[in-house]
Amino acid sequence: MIKITNKSFDLETEFKFVSSDTNGAYSFFLGTVRSDLSSSNKKIKGIYLECYEELALAQLKKIRSKALSNWKLNECLIIHRIGKLDLGEKIVLVIAASSHRANAIEACEFVIDSLKIDVAFWKFHLLDDDEKESVLQKNLDNEKMLKWKDIIN
Amino acid sequence: MNITLKYFSWIRVKLKKSHDLIKLNQTISFKELKNNLISKDAIYQEIFEDKSVKFFLNLREIDDENQTLNNGDILAFLPPVTGG
Repeated sequence: MIKITNKSFDLETEFKFVSSDTNGAYSFFLGTVRSDLSSSNKKIKGIYLECYEELALAQLKKIRSKALSNWKLNECLIIHRIGKLDLGEKIVLVIAASSHRANAIEACEFVIDSLKIDVAFWKFHLLDDDEKESVLQKNLDNEKMLKWKDIIN
Repeated sequence: MNITLKYFSWIRVKLKKSHDLIKLNQTISFKELKNNLISKDAIYQEIFEDKSVKFFLNLREIDDENQTLNNGDILAFLPPVTGG
């Protein structure tokens, strides 16, 4: 399942969606809004997430499909929020469900690493003085993706 | 013919709009459209010179500047993504 939503989500409800007695392992990634300083050293009070929804859905579908086939997952759920989010709110959830833990853990990491550099979402920091600041892509995220090149068919 | 341009992230902020509808009398290439836009507004020069910006035509990344644009096409301007 793939979902892009401006509403929050409940972990237990989403877990029920992927839960099955054919699975022996689930790996979760939950990204949340953290308190931080902006690049101009201003306090962040939240984030705003912009999305090109038609493209993001197509890109997420490809990533999910690769995860399902490469790690023989039984299910893979991806939820991403859009709009205005306060500190501490949930941004993104990935659940990889598999027979064995190694596949679930590695697939979950692949999905979130891919999402970070390949899916049409853009983050803005919301600052104390009502300014918005574009968040820049991190080199580290691109470097992390290199490790998957040899693994993914 | 009509082509919709969609702008995202800092490009949307800089242009102060999320989209444009371009009306043309004949088909043109992506490269010709690029040159037209640059001649109308210097901001486009900055956008097209930024090698990190990607251009998607009907949800597919443009890899050939000579690609022809057709009626009803949607061309999206995408800075590096930062979701997750």
